[in-house]
Formats: sequence, C-alpha cells, structure tokens
Amino acid sequence: MTAHLQLSDVSVSFNGFVAVNALNLAVGKGELRCLIGPNGAGKTTALDLICGKIKPTAGSITLRNTELTALEEHQIARAGVGRKFQVPSVFKELTVRENLQVAYSKRTGVFANVMRSCRGEETDGLDMLAQLVGLENALDKPAAYLSHGQTQWLEIGMLVAQDTELILMDEPTAGMTAQETLKTADLFNRLKGKHTLLVVEHDMGFVKAIGDVISVMHQGRLLAEGTAAEVERNEEVRRAYLGSGGITGA
Amino acid sequence: MTAPLVLPAPAHRTRQAAGRTRTQVLLYAFVCLAVFVIPLLIDSDFLLNKIARYIVLGMLAMSLALSWGYAGILNLGQAMSFGLGSYAMAMALKLKTVPVHTGPEGLPDFMVWNNVPSLPWFWEPFHSLGFAIAAGIIVPVCAAAALGWFMFRGRVTGVYVAIITLAAMVVVNLVIIDQQRFTGGFNGITDLAQLKLFDITFDAYGRSTYYLVACCLTASLFLALAVTKTKAGLIIQAIRDHENRVRYFGYDVAAYKIFAFSLSAAIAGLAGMLYTVVMEFASPTFLGVPLSLSVVVWCAVGGRQSLVGAFLGAVLVAGMQGALSESKTFLETWTLVMGGLFVIVVLFLPKGLAGIAELLSVRIARLRQRRNATVAEPKPTEVGP
Amino acid sequence: MDDALQQFITGLSIASILLLVALGLSIIYGAMGIINLAHGEFVMLGAYAAWALQTQLQIGLFASLIPIFLLVALFGWLIEHFVLRFLYARPLDTILATWGIGVMLQQAVRLLAGGELRYVQMPVDLSHSIDIAGVPVSVYRLFLFAAALALFALTWFLMNRTTFGVKLRAVIQDRSISSAFGINPGQVYGITFAYGAGLAGLAGALVSPLKSVSPEMGTGYVVDAFMVVVLGGVQSLVGTVASAFVLGELSGVIAFLQNDTIAKALVFLAIIVLIRFRPEGLFTARVRA
Repeated sequence: MTAHLQLSDVSVSFNGFVAVNALNLAVGKGELRCLIGPNGAGKTTALDLICGKIKPTAGSITLRNTELTALEEHQIARAGVGRKFQVPSVFKELTVRENLQVAYSKRTGVFANVMRSCRGEETDGLDMLAQLVGLENALDKPAAYLSHGQTQWLEIGMLVAQDTELILMDEPTAGMTAQETLKTADLFNRLKGKHTLLVVEHDMGFVKAIGDVISVMHQGRLLAEGTAAEVERNEEVRRAYLGSGGITGA
Repeated sequence: MTAPLVLPAPAHRTRQAAGRTRTQVLLYAFVCLAVFVIPLLIDSDFLLNKIARYIVLGMLAMSLALSWGYAGILNLGQAMSFGLGSYAMAMALKLKTVPVHTGPEGLPDFMVWNNVPSLPWFWEPFHSLGFAIAAGIIVPVCAAAALGWFMFRGRVTGVYVAIITLAAMVVVNLVIIDQQRFTGGFNGITDLAQLKLFDITFDAYGRSTYYLVACCLTASLFLALAVTKTKAGLIIQAIRDHENRVRYFGYDVAAYKIFAFSLSAAIAGLAGMLYTVVMEFASPTFLGVPLSLSVVVWCAVGGRQSLVGAFLGAVLVAGMQGALSESKTFLETWTLVMGGLFVIVVLFLPKGLAGIAELLSVRIARLRQRRNATVAEPKPTEVGP
Repeated sequence: MDDALQQFITGLSIASILLLVALGLSIIYGAMGIINLAHGEFVMLGAYAAWALQTQLQIGLFASLIPIFLLVALFGWLIEHFVLRFLYARPLDTILATWGIGVMLQQAVRLLAGGELRYVQMPVDLSHSIDIAGVPVSVYRLFLFAAALALFALTWFLMNRTTFGVKLRAVIQDRSISSAFGINPGQVYGITFAYGAGLAGLAGALVSPLKSVSPEMGTGYVVDAFMVVVLGGVQSLVGTVASAFVLGELSGVIAFLQNDTIAKALVFLAIIVLIRFRPEGLFTARVRA
C-alpha cells in the first residue's frame, strides 16, 4: 500500500532553532496514526507544516501524490486536509449551527456561495451532526457560550462536516472528562477507514484505545514507530521521556 | 456526510434563526416604508431635499456597515467610492448643460477658464448618461477590488487596513484637487443640468428625486441584507470572527474580503451618484477625510453590525448636525458633544444604538415569556423563610 | 556648494522637528501598539499652552517647557486611565476613540481660545542667526536640533537603562506573565502613554515659535509623525531617528523640486506601499525568516 500522506525529509527552523529536523512519516489510507512525544518534540509543528500554517525550509509533503508545500492554506484544505487546533478554534460570534455550516465546505468559491441560501439541503445533515457531537440543544447558541469541552466537540463536529480525506487532530481530548474521552475514542474508531487520521495526543489511555500504529517524535525527528506495546518497550523512547515522568505521564 | 454517522433526525428542530430573519425583514421593510411615507407628511421642498440628503448619507453608512460590521474591514476611506460615484454623475450632468461661453456642445466652463483646448478623452464617454451611471458603480468597484487585492492578498489586516484605505482616499482627493484643468479642482464640478431618466426630470427639490433616492435605498438595503443571509455572507462573518480558521476550511479569505469590500464600494458609488443629483454639484469634500470619518461615526453610533442601524445612525446624527448648523456656536458645541458621544459609544456600546434595541427586545421577549409561564402555572406562594 | 549645504541644513532642521513630534508617537505606538490619532492634538495643546503662558502670564518659552510637559503628560495619563485602558483588546476601536478625543480637543480649544492663528515669541537670546561655513543658520533651529537629540537620548536611556524600561519591555512581551511577577501593567502603560503625550506637548511648545498656532495644526503633524514611525519601524527608537533624518532631507528636496499637492500625494502613496511590503519598517531587521 502506498502512503496516503507522505512527509519526506521535512525540516523547518525559526531563527536557527530547528523545530522539525528531516522528518519522515508515512501514513496509509484509512489509517489512524497517533503522534506522540515529549513537550517540544515538534508534534504541533508537524501538523502546522502539513496544513500549511508553516512553510517548511526543506523537504516535501504529499497527499495522494499531490505536493502540498507549494500550496496556500485554503488550497491545502481543498486538496483534502482538515485540521483541529490544540486551542479549540471555532467562530465564537457565530451560532453552533452557523459554525457547522461554515465548516461544510463542499463548494468554496465566492460566487457559488452568493447564490446559496444558508438554509439548504445540508441543514438536515448538520442537525444530525449536532446530535452526534451532543450539541443538538445548543444549535442557536453563539459558540462563545459553550464550555471548553463543548467547544472541543464543536470543532470535531466541524471537521466531520468538512469531510476531508485527511484529518489532523491536535490534542482532541484536552479538557474532556473520562467519559467524553471514551465517546471521542468511539467516534474516531468510526471515522477511520473512510478518513485518514493523524492524531497528536498526550493521553496514552486514549492513544491505546484508538491507535494501531504510534509514531514517536523527539527533538524534531521520528524516534520510533510501532504498536503501543512496541513503543513502550523501546529503549530510545524511554530515554527521551526520561525526566518527564515516563511515557504515560507526559 | 459519512455513512456510518447517519442518525435519526432530531424531532425538535429550532426555528429561531428563521424567525430572526423574518423579524429583520419586517423591520427593514418598515423603515423603507417610513422613508416612502415621509413626503406625504411634508410639503416643504427644501426640507424634503434635506431629508433626501440624509437618506443618501445613510446609504453610505449602510455600505460601510457591510464591510466594517460584517467583514471586519474598517475602511476609513469609504468616501472614496462615494466621491468617485458623485464625480461620474457630475461629469455627465455637466456635459448636459449648455456652457455660457462656448455654446452648445462646447467645453465645460472651468475647462475654458483653465485654457483646456478640447474635451479630454476620459470625459468623452460621459456624453452618454448610461455610461456615466455604469461608471459611477464600476469605477468605485474596480478601485476597491484593486485596493482590496493589493491589501488582502498581502494579508494586511486590522489597523493597517484602516490606514491604507484612508491614505488611498487622500491620494485620490489630492489628485482631483491638483488636476484642476480636468476636475474643477477645489471648486468641484458645479452648475449641473438636471438628471433626465426615462422622460422623468429629477429636480433636486422635487418629489421625483426623493422617490428615486428612496427606491435606491430600498433596493440596496435589501440587496445587502440578502447577501448577508447567503452562505457567502456567513463565511464573511466567520472571517471577521477568526480569519485564519476560515482558511483551513478551504475558503480563499482574500477573495471573500475583496468581494465584501467591492460590494460595499458599489453601494457607496450609487449613493455618491444620488448625492450629486440631490446636492446639484460634486466637490472634493465628497471624498474628503472629514466626511469619511463622519461615516465611521454614524456607523458606530447606529450600530456597525446592523445595516439598518448604520442607516438610521447616519440619518439621526447628520440630521441633528444639519438642524444645529443654523448657529455657529451650536454647531461647534455639537462637534464637541459629538466627539464625546462617539468616544462613549466606542467604549461602552460597540454595537451602537442597534445593540441597545437588540438588548431591549431580548428583555421584552424574556419578560413576556415569564409572564406567560406564570399565567400557565401559578407559582405556589412562598411561606416564610 | 553653499546651496547644497543650505539645503542640507534646511533638511536637518525639518528632521529635528519631525523627530521631536514623532518621538512620543513612537513610544506609544511601539510600546503599546496604540495608533494614537490624538497625537497631533497633544502637539497642538503644547503649542497653545506655550502661547497661553506667554501671553497671559508673561512666562518665557524656556521657563514654560517643564510645566507644559507635565500638563500634557497629565492629560495623556487621564486619557489612558479613563478611555484607552478599556480598549486594549480592541485595537481598531482605539483608533476611533483617540480620533474622537482629538476632535474634542480641537473643538474645545477652538471654543476656548478662538479659531484664529496665534503666534508665540521666540526667546530673545536665540532669535539671531550665526554663520556656519558661509551659510546663515537660525540659532533657534540649532537649539531645536540639540533639543531633539537630547530628548531622544533621554528617552533611549529611560527605555534601555532604567528599571522602568525593563518593566515596560516585560509588559510588551507578555502582559499577564509580567503581572504575575508583580509588575502592574496598567500603571506601566499609564506612565508610558503619559510620557509619550508629554513629549508631544513639548514638541508643540518647541516648534510653536516657528509656526502659526491653530486648533487644526495637529492634523498635519500626526500624519508626518506616523510616517516617520512606520518608516523607522515600530519598537525601534534608533530607526525613528534614522527615518526622521531621511524624511527631513527628502522633504527638503521634494519641496524644492515639486509642487506641494503632488508631494503630499507621494508621501501617502509611500505610506501605502511601505505598510503593504514592509510593515516592520525600513530600519529594522526582519525577525522571522
């Protein structure tokens, strides 16, 4: 199987600080890959590079053999990359429904969208989606009034609405209760197969519940790759986590 | 949507959003209706002309609300589009007058005074009124699109947009003043013919002009409202809220901003053309800094996030200023009070008068709800602590 | 040769006025990120204060400099305390609020002192000219040049060599963290704004003998000062000096060669292009590659 998402020798540095150093990563189609690593390992930067928030200084990133590094953010999104941010990023002044409508972006052109009313065929789908993420009673609430956990859910719901081939998740369960985390794991397991997912997570319990293959980053490089058990046994990984309370406590 | 995720549709579907739109449409229709009724209550042509003027300025403020309130683009040079529109109309109407010195088909008077040998090429097409009307909208739109492209493709945002738009307007203003031979310079273009369209003559002090203004207001108000209700309008508001997030959903942020900026310029251009008809001249002050900043004040006072609020804010403030302009002391004190009022609005009422109205309507709705609730199930009387 | 020297000295004189006026704006804009559209009105207040002290109380220009600085600084502190403080999260609204304040100040002065032009007497000791390499130079203009450099040196010292400067830079870097370390950000901002306003007032007083004083005089200054700051780069005092010098010399030449209106239009075009392509200014290194 050729990789769906392929990072080859990707590097980026800020003011001489090398945040990501010749990173190689391949994720197969429909796979759910977890990306872990101690603080400052460059995990979020790696996601930033894929979605175009940061341009790499060297290397290539391809999705389905489409080179992404030359594209702008919105073109990368159109090419099939969706991103959930570490700090949940939703439109606070818009209602939950409007947030989901914006995220439903099959057509992105200005003139296509001037001709379309907001109440259309997709509304039913959005209602179901709201129910899926537990926000069906908050549809007309501005997103600013949601709790932290609800905001996380909203952004996840927005990514489902966006319906991209590749979904990047940056710490999706931060600030969620154990029960909510369980629900998220369930959702992710349903998303995989149809979507390719790359999930940055600290919660090893969650990682074990969803991930088949885990990639470990350290100091901007790929340190190890394998199942949870393999990774936990790996000497180098243990050394990288030394002093930060071990892999489960990071 | 993803197949495994399909769930039964929820039985309860909120209709709140649709309800809000209906209220809005009713409110807008009511305001437009009021504008049409005014001439029936007033028989002073002079006063009617003044009111027409305030309505045109209201249109200008409404156009700014579209770009500032909805798209978050604070255009301090909104009067640029307005002025370009007013000059387009003035050029056409100037060519329709019979010059005193040179007779029919002769050069406009100020060109004669400035020793211009023949009509400059860019004045030629303005012999056609249709061309002038098209230009009054297309020229501001193109200028805005070009400036928007220059700024938004380069990801210029916030405060810098405000400064660039202001500076761009000042440049155009200075060029118009400098090129006196072709533009009339400081004096602007005066002594205009009356606009004649489809066999109707629009005398600045006649009812026909007032109704023309009222029709254009209604059309542009509803056009703008309709656009805000489309998906594009929603995306524009999302951009105002969190510009960078929108990119990651695949929308070209710059394109949407240019669209909002240009649409706003089109309405401002239309308002500019009407202003020339109502005022019977065009002047560099129509694209001057004082007017442009006043538009921002009107918008802020009326409510930058409400099209009709901005319109009413302009009518109210400009009208008040007009009423006080009889006396110099009154006017100067008013400017002082206005400055203070503006600071207070910016500080405490970022949504302006429209924000107060919204707050009140929410309160009233809640009160009514509570009253209904108490009627339905009377609360048990509380007994002691 | 004499013409060139004359031209150079004229440019230097313009540059020193630009620097005087821009210094306060540079502090406020660079440190607090506030585009203070009332800055020109602070300059105007300083000029009017000089005029009032001279005509009403017969106090000479030199003696009135410190009271004027304190007066306008107090004014700035009040504005920061009662208006701007609430707007730090809304930068666009700060522009609007400072503009509204500017309108009020202009109008208040017009009502109190009248709209007509006022003139301030130059100190007698400095009202003659001296000869530099065959070119007559006004001593007062030399004094302005020295004053501009002295105020720049003082400001640089305050920002870079005092505890207050360290605190200010800490607050600029991270407001919440510095407050966690016991710095009162509100107080730091208040003092900074007051200092910037005081500098503007001082600039107004110092240039008042060379220009006519009117309620509208500030409008031109705010544009000039803004141009200097944008060109020099935000948060760079040295850049401000460099750009004041460049612009002073340039405007000397432009005024010599071109008609005034077009020269002004070119300045605005330059602002537009500069903001679009180098918002960090010409005299600062790019921070991020």
